[in-house]
Amino acid sequence: MKLTIPKICQALSPTWCPGCGNFAILKSLQQAVAQLKIAYEDLVIVYGVGCSGNMADFNRVYGFHALHGRAIANAVGIKLANHRLKVIVVAGDGDTYGEGLNHFLSAARGNHDITVLVHNNQMYSLTTGQSSPTTDKGTATKTTPPPTGVIEQPVNPLSLALAANAGFVARGYAGNARQLIDLVVQAVKHPGFALVDIFQPCPTFNKRNTYQWFQQRVYDLTTQKHDPQDQKAALVKAQEQEKLPIGLFYQNEKSQAYHQQLPQLKQKTLKQQWQARRQLKSLLKELK
Amino acid sequence: MPSMAANSLTKSATAFNWKIAGQAGEGVMVSAKLLAKAVMRHGWQAFNYLEYPSLIKGGHQTGQVYAAAKQAYCQYRRLDLLIIFHQQGFVEHQDEIDARTIVFYNSDLIDESILKKYPQFKAKLYPLPFFSLAKQAASQQIAANVVALGASAYVLGLKRKVLSKLIKEEFQAKGQKIIKANLAALQIGHDAAAAQLSPLFKVTSKQTKQLLLNGNEAVALGAIAAGVQYFSGYPMTPTSSLMHYLAAAQQHYPLVVKHTEDEIAGINQALGAAYAGVRAMTATSGGGFALMVEGLSLAGVTELPIVIAYGMRQGPATGLPTWTSQADLQFVLRAGHGEFQRVVLTPGTIQEHFELTQQAFVLAEKFQIPVFILSDKYALESHQTMAQPQLSYALKRYAMVKEQDLPKDDSYRRYKLTRSGVSPRSVPGQAHGLQVTNSYDHDEFGFATEDAQLTKQQIDKRQRKLKGIAQAIPQPVLLGPKKAPVTLVSWGSTTNVILELLTKTKKVNAIHLPCVWPFPSKQFQQLAQKAQKLVMIEGNATGQAQQLIRQQTGLVIKDSVRRYDGRPFYVNDLIKELKLK
Ligand SMILES: Cc1ncc(C[n+]2csc(CCOP(=O)(O)OP(=O)(O)O)c2C)c(N)n1
Ligand code: SF4
Ligand SMILES: [Mg+2]
Repeated sequence: MKLTIPKICQALSPTWCPGCGNFAILKSLQQAVAQLKIAYEDLVIVYGVGCSGNMADFNRVYGFHALHGRAIANAVGIKLANHRLKVIVVAGDGDTYGEGLNHFLSAARGNHDITVLVHNNQMYSLTTGQSSPTTDKGTATKTTPPPTGVIEQPVNPLSLALAANAGFVARGYAGNARQLIDLVVQAVKHPGFALVDIFQPCPTFNKRNTYQWFQQRVYDLTTQKHDPQDQKAALVKAQEQEKLPIGLFYQNEKSQAYHQQLPQLKQKTLKQQWQARRQLKSLLKELK
Repeated sequence: MPSMAANSLTKSATAFNWKIAGQAGEGVMVSAKLLAKAVMRHGWQAFNYLEYPSLIKGGHQTGQVYAAAKQAYCQYRRLDLLIIFHQQGFVEHQDEIDARTIVFYNSDLIDESILKKYPQFKAKLYPLPFFSLAKQAASQQIAANVVALGASAYVLGLKRKVLSKLIKEEFQAKGQKIIKANLAALQIGHDAAAAQLSPLFKVTSKQTKQLLLNGNEAVALGAIAAGVQYFSGYPMTPTSSLMHYLAAAQQHYPLVVKHTEDEIAGINQALGAAYAGVRAMTATSGGGFALMVEGLSLAGVTELPIVIAYGMRQGPATGLPTWTSQADLQFVLRAGHGEFQRVVLTPGTIQEHFELTQQAFVLAEKFQIPVFILSDKYALESHQTMAQPQLSYALKRYAMVKEQDLPKDDSYRRYKLTRSGVSPRSVPGQAHGLQVTNSYDHDEFGFATEDAQLTKQQIDKRQRKLKGIAQAIPQPVLLGPKKAPVTLVSWGSTTNVILELLTKTKKVNAIHLPCVWPFPSKQFQQLAQKAQKLVMIEGNATGQAQQLIRQQTGLVIKDSVRRYDGRPFYVNDLIKELKLK
């Protein structure tokens, strides 16, 4: 059975604030999944804890609503247990680049075949507006009040992913659904770790990085001469700050996923290789 | 008090106690393990206990073998034969010798003038230039441990053929040259000892089918027998070698072992794999488990099966990384926010580690809960002989729905309210099994809810599992004579020492708890009622199981022997403390 939009929408209706960027990301994800024509039982979405993660209740798929920060770790386990599944992570910037950063870097360098969609609203929103690792320096939030605002420099998710040798690095924008759908489709198809960091306006708590703010800054990478196979060029593009490129920064087309390098997963998935009988003979020899 | 081992210095020996002391990197653990194996191949039983500091080169470490024709459950202090590579050995082991102990000291490093510094070290001292003999026979000093093995085998009257076969097997992977060198080292050690004394006795030999393995190997083997397919964890003494063993076993089984970025990922990956339908496991020690606690709570609410092998070591914090402890019991019982079911298994012997690990996987899957194998450095890193188990294991799956049974209208409920509290689970890939496995409180489909009634219903559902679990767990057992003036109570590895004690006296019996949670109150009380006097024996300072028993049964055990200095219990100390002599 193929996943169709009505099917995936059968769950509960979204509870996000009016104007929230998450609506567009949800719709784009659903469109992308429909385009991918995956049997709906072969898709797993693992959600972080945050406004974005609340999407767990709005999709009718196999879902795993994880702990805050840990969605990627669950996703890696799911993929290795049954690599025929398509595994998508939906999580916030706080979740992925703060609480769960270690998992993010490890999954990227391990090239685990999961797609990570980060709803980057540069804010901890579900907890009512504290600074996140991607909040711009100087921004006043509840935990970083004036006069200083945030003292730290923000992390650059794309640079981090590239430094960790992620094989697919892209940036989307909730205000450009057409491109976002395409990026998600490509990311899921990519055999290995894929990051799509998504600019997600949060009109309730992020008064700085609004739709208008993004509208003035974003531009489509494909309008410039950028070779997505050039990792170095991707790093340079990722550092741009005045204008903000969106699109595919980097893709390693020779990427070999973690599970593809495990000899025991060459023929079948772990799940398929359940043994109704286990023999110990070969192991016991050494202990005699 | 003279132990069996003390009496053993006769031709009709039925037991001996041997130790080798050296520095890290000198292979003393290897010689201890090989000696234990050699003894096993004579049809005896052996217990091989290792002490070492948390460093890689230098320091003082020992390998010890207690061997007996019948039962060997633990180490003894008083030695029949001691091998000392460095001067430090005279300081460390002074309390373990008497006038009849044979001591080979390394005359390459220790001369007459040094010996004079230890006048109170009164034993039968024999010089043996271990290092130069190793260089002479094997052209490298590292073979000194095999020289020591040769000398020991001679003194203990072990068959030479058995030893040389073991050497061949041990060094097989390193090629003929290394095998030859070590065989020469074995021979030169043998000859050097023969030149100075005659054998203490002959170890009689009989055919038995036994294995020698440590707790980690027993747990790993148990997990393999139970069909483990995914292990993720982060190295930490004393469970690292469990992961090493499983990692090597990936060659032979459909099994993936992942050394993760941290323990948080360790438990969360395992939960992901469990969700996807394979049997999953992690292992750690106290510090690592502290990091896993939120994941444990996740297992609780998502109702995912997971087996957690927990090796206690002396804490708090980094503590004594390579020394034993039973001080994390209450932590494991209470860990995790919120209320959910768990099982805490506390195996004693190595054989019980193997058997309970298999049971752990069944319990976890049947009841969709986390199950602990709570052990410690003492059991997990000590080798013990056990009867060879069966070679083949038929496995069943539990509490999972078959795809053909899923309703075609997609009305399947992952967290269906059932009488047993267990809701058969679907796994991704099954058509019509869609569900959310949810860390939030949820309704029957798995969708998050904050509804008061739905929340309570799910909590009640999870609580209902207790009844089934309580019937499925291993029950307390009475060890030793039916009646005795004193009944000891123990759990986990301490039971090994109790079992050994029971071979030495008829004045006590003991209740062993192979499972402490859910606490088997009824069965425990039945056994405890018959006791004239109860004494709790456990490896912590605050009497954690003693408190648990009081909490669960109202029974106040007044007497206890506690040890919490990183060392295991010793039979002779217990005899003294319990005034059995
Ligand atoms: C271990 C843990 N710490 C803290 C929280 C509280 N918490 C929930 S969501 C969140 C931050 C969410 O920020 P982000 O991941 O960016 O998601 P957003 O709400 O912005 O979509 C925090 C701190 C939690 N649930 N778990
Ligand atoms: S708080 Fe922000 S991120 Fe959360 S739902 Fe509202 S607008 Fe969206
Ligand atoms: Mg956020």
